[in-house]
Amino acid sequence: MFEVMMYDGGVYRSDELFELIEDAGGAVLQKTRSSQMLSVTMSVPAGDRGAIEALCKEIGGEVRRVPLAGTEVAVVGPTLGRHHMPHPICDIAEALRRRGAITVVMGLARGRGKKTAQMSLEERTVVEEYDAAVFMLGNFKACVEAKADMFRGVGVPSVLVSGPEPDGIGGAFDAVVSGVGRKASRMRSTEEREKLDEICDAVERVLEAKRASIGEDPLFAHPAEVKQVLEGYEPIDMCLRPAPLVMHLDGLRAKVGCAEHRSAIEGMEVHGRRLGDVCRISPSKIDDSSTVIRIKARSEVEQAGRG
Amino acid sequence: MDIEVAAEDGYGAESYRRLFEELMADAGMSQRIESASLLMRPEVPLFVFSVRLRSEPSAKALGDVAAVRSEGGAVRIAISEERYAPAILSRLWERYGRAAVSQQTRFDTSVEGADEGEVAAIPVESGEDSVGDAVGAIWRAMPEGIKNRRALISGRAVTVIATEEIFEPWMIEEGERMHGQGGA
Repeated sequence: MFEVMMYDGGVYRSDELFELIEDAGGAVLQKTRSSQMLSVTMSVPAGDRGAIEALCKEIGGEVRRVPLAGTEVAVVGPTLGRHHMPHPICDIAEALRRRGAITVVMGLARGRGKKTAQMSLEERTVVEEYDAAVFMLGNFKACVEAKADMFRGVGVPSVLVSGPEPDGIGGAFDAVVSGVGRKASRMRSTEEREKLDEICDAVERVLEAKRASIGEDPLFAHPAEVKQVLEGYEPIDMCLRPAPLVMHLDGLRAKVGCAEHRSAIEGMEVHGRRLGDVCRISPSKIDDSSTVIRIKARSEVEQAGRG
Repeated sequence: MDIEVAAEDGYGAESYRRLFEELMADAGMSQRIESASLLMRPEVPLFVFSVRLRSEPSAKALGDVAAVRSEGGAVRIAISEERYAPAILSRLWERYGRAAVSQQTRFDTSVEGADEGEVAAIPVESGEDSVGDAVGAIWRAMPEGIKNRRALISGRAVTVIATEEIFEPWMIEEGERMHGQGGA
């Protein structure tokens, strides 16, 4: 049984932490360094949790529970204008990051207005690259109900965050959290922080349901196993972008161009099989600067093997 | 600032009252607005935001917003309204150069070798700036997608009428009625 947790502290003696994770048979899922500060999301055997926590404390850091680790979530607002950004979209993204998720913030090209708002097919396919999406709408019930409709049918678990509680959107979202809406300042008050917790809990629930659904027909390999294989690939190892490998529930995002690196990635092996045979590898819909790797289900790989 | 809100959507009305207040404070307009009247009909959609300013927008010279006197070969300026301080300083630098202008505190500045009358006559704000600030702040408060907008400006009242597509005559009439009330 593995447990996912996050170390938050300085870089001082962090090499000892990495050695201990390796000795315990665990894996580093995400490592983010900013100046002298370091965040490490790790998956470690439950039995070694105590030893790792003790070391983290000894080197001056702290350990937190990160239920959303290993997921990438899109937080989508109607536009990137100051009416919709940065509050409260950035607050939501930050709250999700504190629970271990990697987040991206997106604004739609033509998401403003009530009658004229729309989400293009391209935007929809970009959102569907993520594990889940949080859609943020405003303060008027009539507008929220009209605009919620354009997010209907997005192919990933979704959470709608809005001001008033909308009616008549049954089934369009996996969860709805109301009481937020447009704001002119950061969500700092106790009630607002509680609302952020409520949003994070909703995201956690919908991702848990997705995880359970994947578990019914398990993947050929865990994303962490594929990540370990990819980490040895020099262009990824040398990549200077933050988090060059981002884990999803059903695969990974590798921040190297697909056109250039696809054949090399396809040729790598996990559990004795080529990644090209056990994964769907495609360029990101955003642009070709990253590659989306979806791991096939074990049953699908076996069936293909028989065929 | 008194804010009167007319909207059927209770949640939207309350949150926009708060939002309007915060945004006016952010834009530095709180002290300049005496009252505001907000009509919000998102189902149409029609938004009319009308404000009544404390004073009629007019051009202001340095002497109107600061006490100016000659003393010991320099002109001393004591600013009475802080919001004009950045404009005063930049006009003085522009005209006399940075070396001649010395700022002792947020409110007190002196200019070496200047003429008192000339300093007092330096324009620090035109009436248009003030109206522009008010219209800009109202635009910022309005929902982003309601892009078809018309501004009415007369005396102390500034009103912005906005809808998403085509203005219908009754919308303009509604805006003019609120504007006629002076945004009060």
